[in-house]
Amino acid sequence: MSDGLTIALPKGSLYRDAAARLRAAGIDVPTDVGRKLTVRTGDGTTLLFLRAADVPAYVEFGSADCGIVGKDVLWETDRNVAELADLGFGYCRLVVAARRIDRYHEGAPYPTFLRVATKFTRSAETWFADRDLPVELISLHGSVELSPLVGLADLIVDLVATGTTMRAHDLVVVEEIGESTARFVVNPVRFRAKYEAITALLERLATVPA
Amino acid sequence: MRLPVGMRDWLPHELARKREIEQQMRAVFGRWAYEEVQTPTIERFDVLQRGLGAETAELLFQFNDRRSTPLAMRPEMTTPVARLVSTRMREAPLPLRLAYVAPVFRYYEQPQEGRMRELTQAGAELIGAAGVDADAETLFMAIEALDEIGLQDARFDVNDARVVDGVLAGLGLGGDAALEAKQHIKTRNLVALRAYGRPALLEFALRRGGHEAIATVRELCATPESLAALDALDALLQRADSLGYRRRVAIDFALLRDLDYYTGFVFEGYVEEIGMSLCGGGRYDSLLPRFGYAAAAVGWTAGVERLLIALERRGKHVRRRRHRIDVLVAGSDVVAARERAAGNVVRYAGSELGEEALIHEARVHGIPRVVIATNGAVREVRVGPRVDELPMPRTPSNWDAR
Repeated sequence: MSDGLTIALPKGSLYRDAAARLRAAGIDVPTDVGRKLTVRTGDGTTLLFLRAADVPAYVEFGSADCGIVGKDVLWETDRNVAELADLGFGYCRLVVAARRIDRYHEGAPYPTFLRVATKFTRSAETWFADRDLPVELISLHGSVELSPLVGLADLIVDLVATGTTMRAHDLVVVEEIGESTARFVVNPVRFRAKYEAITALLERLATVPA
Repeated sequence: MRLPVGMRDWLPHELARKREIEQQMRAVFGRWAYEEVQTPTIERFDVLQRGLGAETAELLFQFNDRRSTPLAMRPEMTTPVARLVSTRMREAPLPLRLAYVAPVFRYYEQPQEGRMRELTQAGAELIGAAGVDADAETLFMAIEALDEIGLQDARFDVNDARVVDGVLAGLGLGGDAALEAKQHIKTRNLVALRAYGRPALLEFALRRGGHEAIATVRELCATPESLAALDALDALLQRADSLGYRRRVAIDFALLRDLDYYTGFVFEGYVEEIGMSLCGGGRYDSLLPRFGYAAAAVGWTAGVERLLIALERRGKHVRRRRHRIDVLVAGSDVVAARERAAGNVVRYAGSELGEEALIHEARVHGIPRVVIATNGAVREVRVGPRVDELPMPRTPSNWDAR
């Protein structure tokens, strides 16, 4: 149905919805990826199963024609891909957060030397630079919400979906950087080279119910 | 001993392939009656900024000379050529047809394949010619050039920058909103375009095709300039059809080039399996007036490294051409000089090597003749076809020098 397109899909939290949406659009996407890296479906589509953060690179270099990825990853990777559709699922917010007792969310002044811990280094750097706020960024790889509790950082920049984790650690949102949902992205040159296939898929993705 | 980030060396066998492409490009330029020019690698900063605008000036490698004159490495060739034409060639009769094959320098934060900090551009500028004839000349020359280097299936998307302006005006967008929307059209960010609440804008950004696409977009265009641009695109397509390029040339209304000096016709060439454009160009009537010379101009340029990447991906480089040597001479400067004078490529061996060693050396390098001079006697040995292959260094599939 998709004329030999290669589609990059994120493993992890977006996978279920992404797979369901593509299936509704007529592509035979497996429910369970297991340890597979790539699958060729009955209709000739090639699916790549990637870490979400790697999807933009595969699309930018044209190893995949198109892909599905969260807007948060697009902010962070800043790759040259065209964003053709907002698929609506995978809603979360990228926020600046802090301990409730520091009262930054109520306007308490930041310390002179501000430390920010995050997994989203590029997004955080841009956001603070745009506000001329000098910060020391600490790049972490997991459990970022621990860092303000033990004095590693004054602020964190992190994704919030339901807010449960934040509440559990008595953290509050200070400011919202942006809202993220899953996007259908495409390589700008491949859009032209495979115009019919990509626009047909786009139309089916846009019309099927979420 | 490390190279600066984003720079690379070219080994003999790599450079031989690059030179071959450069020569093929030069041959095409020559056939179209373009003459090659050269400008300095370093320009005064203000000259480049005047041509490129503030945004592109951020890409410059920039420094001062000892008198604190701000200088920069050229990031492309169109601005230097425009400077040249508006100064020393100002009296030359128009139109001028100028070409170049030259290294340019860009300070990319993150250099990557096909986006090195030093790259080679091969391009042509047609100066002092307005209208669709000149636009067509540029496009067809680019098609022939890619044919010449072996990319006969390369496709070309064309557009006219004035169409977007006409459509935005037709939809009632002006000022900053129009500039912003234009940026989203260029990156084909449909999610951002949706926020304008004008479905026609989305459809426009997805519109690509031939004569029928022009017909649908015509209804959206509000300015006389944009309607004229559609007529010109229509004429261009027709001429492409008559050359047999129907399947290779299409209109992409969202195609807008990065540099802000483009004023009308624009195009990009690409092949399906490479995710970046290989060449591109367009009309830049506003550039020469920035240097005080009122002349229309159109041009195009190809990234030589990108062409190499495209060919390499297809395995077209695999038959590596070895440096051809005609004769191995030992023991006599006079004999060697005579052979060179006769037009042969001569490798000169030391006189301490024996005949067996010389013949081995000839075999290794695929040299068909060995001429040995000893005590005034000259002997010639014919060497059969090469038996053993000299191992060659593997070519990195990645052009990044990191």
